[in-house]
Amino acid sequence: MLQTTELNAFYGQFHVLHDVSIHVREQEVAAILGPNGHGKSTLLKSICGLVDQVQGAISYKGRDITGRPAEKLVNDGVIYIAENRELFPEMSVLENLKLGAYSKNARPFEKKNLAKVLELFPRLEERKKQLASTLSGGEARMLAIARGLMSNADFMCIDEPSLGLQPNLRVEVFNIIKEINKQGKSILLVEQNIPQIAELADRIYMLEEGRITFEGTAQEAGENEHLKEIFLGM
Amino acid sequence: MLIEYADVFISGLTNGSVYALMAVGLTLVYGVSKAFNFAYGSFYSLGGYLAWVLLAGIGIWGGYISVFIIALPLLMAFGYVTEKLIVAPLRSRSDWEIKVMMITLGLALFMDNFYQVAFGSRMKSLPPIVDGVWDLGDIVISYQDIVILVLSVSGILAFRWILNNTRIGMAVRAVAQNPEGARIVGIPKDRVFAATFAISTVMVGAGGVLLAQKYFVSPTGGWDILVKSWVITAFGGMGSIQGGLYAAFILGMLEAFVGYWFGMTWVLFALFAVLLATLAVRPQGLMGKWG
Repeated sequence: MLQTTELNAFYGQFHVLHDVSIHVREQEVAAILGPNGHGKSTLLKSICGLVDQVQGAISYKGRDITGRPAEKLVNDGVIYIAENRELFPEMSVLENLKLGAYSKNARPFEKKNLAKVLELFPRLEERKKQLASTLSGGEARMLAIARGLMSNADFMCIDEPSLGLQPNLRVEVFNIIKEINKQGKSILLVEQNIPQIAELADRIYMLEEGRITFEGTAQEAGENEHLKEIFLGM
Repeated sequence: MLIEYADVFISGLTNGSVYALMAVGLTLVYGVSKAFNFAYGSFYSLGGYLAWVLLAGIGIWGGYISVFIIALPLLMAFGYVTEKLIVAPLRSRSDWEIKVMMITLGLALFMDNFYQVAFGSRMKSLPPIVDGVWDLGDIVISYQDIVILVLSVSGILAFRWILNNTRIGMAVRAVAQNPEGARIVGIPKDRVFAATFAISTVMVGAGGVLLAQKYFVSPTGGWDILVKSWVITAFGGMGSIQGGLYAAFILGMLEAFVGYWFGMTWVLFALFAVLLATLAVRPQGLMGKWG
C-alpha cells in the first residue's frame, strides 16, 4: 500500500534520513522503533508531505507521491497524527473534529465519520462543546486521533500515540488503534514502547541515526539481541 | 450640559463602529498570516474613490445601494489579486514579514500617487447616504450617522458569522490558531491567506465608502486611517479580533471627546498617549497574547 525507496530527508543542512526503504501492506500495522531524535517523526512527516526537502521515492497505492504536499495527500487518504497533537486550542472539540474533515474527499462522509468517531471515543462525545485547550493530555491525544479519522484516510501515520500517557490510558489508546485497524485502516506508527507494540504491530522497523537497522515481525524483534540491548538494556 | 455630550457621544459611537470594521480587518490579516499591510490606508481611499467614480463620475442609478453592490466585489477581487501577486511570492523568503511591509508601503505610495494623477489632489466630496435628521427635541441625530452605525455593525456581525459558521471561516481560525495543525488536516494555507487579505480589503474599503461623505476623499487621506487602525490593533492586542473591537469603540469615543474639548489637532496625540500608557503597563495590548 505504501512504500518508500531510498528516502532521504533534510532539514536545511541536516541530513536526517539516509536511504530509508520501508513498506506497509494493506490493512497492516507497521511500527517504527528507535531512540529519540533519530528521525522517526521525520520519516512519518516526509511520507505525509510535511517535510519540504525529500529525495528518493514514496509511492502510495502504486502511485508516486514524492513531494506531494500535505493538503493534497490528505485528500488522497494519507493523514499524519502528530505526537504533539497540533489541535486548535480555541475551538471546541466538535469544531476540531469538523476541521478534520476539511478535505474535499472527506466532506461527504463528515456526518457518518463523526458518528463513528464519537462512538469510538465516548469521552469526546461528553466534551463535545469544550474548548480543545481545556482537555487533559489523554483526551487531547484521543482528539488528535479522532480528528485524523475524520479525514476518512485509508492510511494513518500515528506519531508516538502513547507519549506522556499513564499506563492505563496507553492501553486504551492501543486498543483503539487496534480497533481502527480492524475497521480496515492501514497504520504506520512510531513508538518507543516495545512490549505493547509487539502485540499490536505486524511488522517492526528499527530506525537508528536515520537508517533502518532492523526489519522483521514482532516475534523476530523480540528475539533480536540488538533490539533487546537498546530497549531493555540487556 | 449632558445634552451637549450626546452629540459627541454619537459621533464617537459612529466613528468607533467604522474604525472597528477596519481595524478588525487589519488585525485579521496580521493574526492569520503575520503580514502587516502598510497599504491598508490606500485601500480605504480606494473604497472612497470607487464610490466617488460611481456616484459623481458615472452618476449611477440606485445611489449607495448600487455602490455597495459594485464596489464590494471589486474590492474583494483587488485584495485577492494583490495578495497573490505581491505578498504570496515573498512568503517563502527569509525575513518575509519585513519584505511584506516594504512592498505594501511601496504599493501605498504608488496607489496614492495614482489617485493624484487620476483624480487630482483636491478633495472630493460625496453626497450623504441619506438626508435628514432625527429630531428628538434637545438631541438631533442625523440619519446618516444612524445608517453608518447600522451598516458597519452589520458588517462586523456578518464577518463574525462568516468566521464562525462557514468552512472558509473555520479554516481562517484554524490557520490563525495553529498553522501546523491546519497543514496537517489539509487546509490550503495559501488560499486562506489570500481570502483573509481579500476580506480585509472589503472591510477597509467599505469603511472608505461609509466615511467618504463625512470626511471627503483625498489622495493621501488613507494615512490617517492606517495610523488609527494600527493604533487600535496595537491597543486591542495584535491579532486579537475581540480586543480590536473594544479598542475601536474606546478610541472612537476618545477621539470624539478630545476633539470636542481640545480640538481635532489633539486627537492623534491623545490616541498615541493612551496607546503608550497602555503598552507600558500591558505590552500585549488589551487582549493580545504574549509571543
